Amino acid sequence: MAKNIFKNAIKKAFSKDALTIYFVIAIYAVISVMLYGGFASRQLTNMLISVSCYIVLAVSLNLVVGLLGELSLGHAGFMSVGLFSGCLFSMWTVDLLPMIVRLPLSMIFGGLFAAVVGFVVGLPALRLKGDYLAIVTLACGEIIKNVITNLEITGGALGLTTNNSDAFIYSKPKELLPYAIVLVLVTVVVMMNIKKSRHGRAIMAIRDNRIAAEATGINVTYYKLIVFILAAFFAGAAGVLYGHSFANIKPATFNYNMSIEILVIVVLGGMGSINGSIIAAIALRALPEMLREFSDYRMLAYSILLIAIMLLNSNAKFNELKSKMSLKNILSLLKTKKAKKGGAKQ
Amino acid sequence: MSLFFQTLISGLSLGSIYALIALGYTMVYGIAKMLNFAHGDVIMIGAYSVIVTVMSLNLPPVIAILASILFCALLGVTIEFLAYKPLRKASPLAVLITAIGVSYFLQNIAQLIFGTQQKAFPKIIDLPGIRISGVEINGITLITLAVTAIIMIALTLFINKTKVGKAMRAVSEDKEAAELMGISTNRTISVTFAIGSALAAVASIFYGATYTYIKPTTGSMPGIKAFTAAVFGGIGSIPGAMLGGIMLGVIEQYSKAYISTTMSDAIVFAVLIIVLLVKPTGLLGKKISEKV
Amino acid sequence: MKKLTSLVLALLMIVSCAAFASCGGGEEKDANVLVIGGIGPLTGAHANYGNSVKNGAEIAVKEINAAGGINGFTIELDFQDSAGQPESAVAAYGKQMDDGMMVSLGGVLSGETASVVAAAKEDGSLILTPSASADDAIKDNDAAFRVCFSDSSQGVAAANYIGANNLPKKVAVFYQGDIDYSTGLYEAFKATADANGIEIVAEESFTADTESDFSTQITAIQNSGAEMIFMPIYADQASTFLTQAQGKFADTMLYFGCDGLDGILGKVADTAICENVLLLTPFAADDSKEIVQKFVASYKETCGGATPDQFAADGYDAVYAIKAAIEKANITPEDQADFNSRVVAAMTEISVSGVTGDMTWEASGETVKLPLVMIIKSGVAQLYTPE
Repeated sequence: MAKNIFKNAIKKAFSKDALTIYFVIAIYAVISVMLYGGFASRQLTNMLISVSCYIVLAVSLNLVVGLLGELSLGHAGFMSVGLFSGCLFSMWTVDLLPMIVRLPLSMIFGGLFAAVVGFVVGLPALRLKGDYLAIVTLACGEIIKNVITNLEITGGALGLTTNNSDAFIYSKPKELLPYAIVLVLVTVVVMMNIKKSRHGRAIMAIRDNRIAAEATGINVTYYKLIVFILAAFFAGAAGVLYGHSFANIKPATFNYNMSIEILVIVVLGGMGSINGSIIAAIALRALPEMLREFSDYRMLAYSILLIAIMLLNSNAKFNELKSKMSLKNILSLLKTKKAKKGGAKQ
Repeated sequence: MSLFFQTLISGLSLGSIYALIALGYTMVYGIAKMLNFAHGDVIMIGAYSVIVTVMSLNLPPVIAILASILFCALLGVTIEFLAYKPLRKASPLAVLITAIGVSYFLQNIAQLIFGTQQKAFPKIIDLPGIRISGVEINGITLITLAVTAIIMIALTLFINKTKVGKAMRAVSEDKEAAELMGISTNRTISVTFAIGSALAAVASIFYGATYTYIKPTTGSMPGIKAFTAAVFGGIGSIPGAMLGGIMLGVIEQYSKAYISTTMSDAIVFAVLIIVLLVKPTGLLGKKISEKV
Repeated sequence: MKKLTSLVLALLMIVSCAAFASCGGGEEKDANVLVIGGIGPLTGAHANYGNSVKNGAEIAVKEINAAGGINGFTIELDFQDSAGQPESAVAAYGKQMDDGMMVSLGGVLSGETASVVAAAKEDGSLILTPSASADDAIKDNDAAFRVCFSDSSQGVAAANYIGANNLPKKVAVFYQGDIDYSTGLYEAFKATADANGIEIVAEESFTADTESDFSTQITAIQNSGAEMIFMPIYADQASTFLTQAQGKFADTMLYFGCDGLDGILGKVADTAICENVLLLTPFAADDSKEIVQKFVASYKETCGGATPDQFAADGYDAVYAIKAAIEKANITPEDQADFNSRVVAAMTEISVSGVTGDMTWEASGETVKLPLVMIIKSGVAQLYTPE
């Protein structure tokens, strides 16, 4: 009995999912030591929060694109809804609540607001699919942008100023990093659990064959809506964090180009792969920064690299090589070693 | 009443340009089954090539137009060969992302060559407008409408009557079966890209003539709008692209004239969503029967 | 236990590697070189603005270095691309700080500048933005200044000018609804219109997504009976508007623009469409002042014949203002103690005669200078004298 529990614990502790979490924790541990120890460069410091937001955005979009298999071109819209509602909430409560309560509450508030919009956007998804749904999500994103630009409460085209003396919610990377870590971890754990659960399998069944899934009694309507609501919730929460890290936020920033950038991360990281989304988010956001040495040719180099990566990713020979070198293989090697060691102990 | 008709005319003018761009978009989609996000940027390149041939090389407009069409066709084929062909067996999303990469590439290369300031498009089409009881119709609008209609009919005939067109339809239906019947898929798709990009060049001429100024990012918004128009009309359908484009233009102008200039985009997109909810495959799109 | 130690070891290794990487790049700085940083959109939809500022600033840097630098410093411009996104701008600012930047030109657009200004607060280094005009762009940082007017002050100045002079009072407003510059000016103008006896008969707008077709707006303005159009927009969109409006309005129609319209004569295909455009602006490329003509000539030479716009002029003046501040603070390569506080303190004491006029700065960061009013007649901008 005890042996079994121990075995299961080891199995759990070294499962692929657990390793993903260790991986995230390790990255953030290193970054925290660097940031609070004063080793981090200013460039890195200033990128931390926005990259964390992109990780959450990519992992949540992966639920729609990777698991449900629907193309969504409006993720930035959800982010923007969450951002503006959450930041407004944060501004209203800035004098009442300390940051440690206010920021998580704002994230939940913004996330819920975004989730409501996600529900509304999810409704057409019940009837449409493929490119038709893609264009509807793009349209929703643009409608959101247009509406927020015309809202007085969010400052209209001038945007929201977060370092307003009446309601100062702007925060430095050093203050925001703990919240970013928690948000990323919560998102990753939730997404991982969904993917593994009965619900995740149901969603993937809908992706692979909707009619067959329906025939086996899966509630397609329910799952499609749930996916959109969850993805929007986390995008909204990430938006709130993003909003707190900049002094001025304009609704026009969250256009279809930004949605496409998030989609690029998801596709590059691999459909349905949480690990992949995390790595791709870090890599793709860091890439333009690393290319600064190219000055005028920076974005040209970025576009060429993007095409090259996509071509390489689809190259059969390269994929063969990659699967040989993959983390999974190396880890499984390690695991067998560990298992041997464990056996020796007993 | 005059406002009503004036708005209709400006809607037709805008819509005919969307339609022209959407034709190329929908054609590539119909055959290659890919969303060519770089289509809008080919339009931008086409417009710049007219500027270069007319302004710098001082060639007559007719030659400039032909040169631009030829150049864009070549560009389309080259892009297809270098960026899309290696992805023939990859997922549609991988192709989509590559197309986005190509779009970034074209914008940045144009910026490096032509700079970031807008350039004026030369006046190569000069036609007097006509006036019917207080409503002015621009000469360029008339030509654009005529050319769009002619191209739509020509494309429909081409696809239905010629051998290459039939090959295209076959590839569109079933790539592998077409291959077994002795059709070269690769060549057919190359031809599709050549025609689609040549259409983009034609669109660029009318776009430039109507809106006068060209920037490296000029193509992206018409590209998105044309994508919307193509889906609106039923993506893959050639008459659908024409109908979708014109509808989109007219709705946009009416919402600007009668409802709000600040909210016009939101209104256009809201109408689009409603139409798609009623007709999930667009106005003239084929019903897809689902198989288990 | 063993697992824990190995994990800790691995972590330590990664940390040391990373720490090494972050320190390894820094070379010993040359004390005689003063690095001025700039950030702006050099790619993407707003790239024209960023490049204008960069080109203007580069000319100033070249001129200053050719004339012997500042107090023994040679200056170097490190201009980074932001693509118009705040996250990229803030990261670029971080990189510039890592690379030893001393003074910053902030950002070009207001949104990115606001975030850079906030991120720079702890450094206390001088931020002198050439063109971020939104009222809130330089708030909450005492070291932040700007060369351009704030949006609200320009909108108010425009309304006051129209009110005080014999100009038509039936005004249509044509503005861009999704950018801060245009809406900022429009709102300030609207708020003071009544007090100046201005009747706003039409309010037409557009967005970046609908900036190629203005036919409905033109029809609406035609029907409104406006005698003047107030257009607080940029020259690019204004040239499209004027081209499409050609022949649609009465010949007596006046077009009233602010500094965003600078350089419009160099942007249009046919200068005839700019007839009767009034400009309330501190800079005009046609100004006969020697300093302006010298700047315009060298700009045309380095930028392939392009006419400098307001962004270029502001970039040029910003560098000269920094020069004046460093000279005033008496900072030399040998004496750089308290660099930031001395330069910032000097900002409110200097006066600079630049291409955008004679400027001084208030402690709030706003500039004090007089705008000119120009009118374009037969393709030439000339000083406007009200009747």
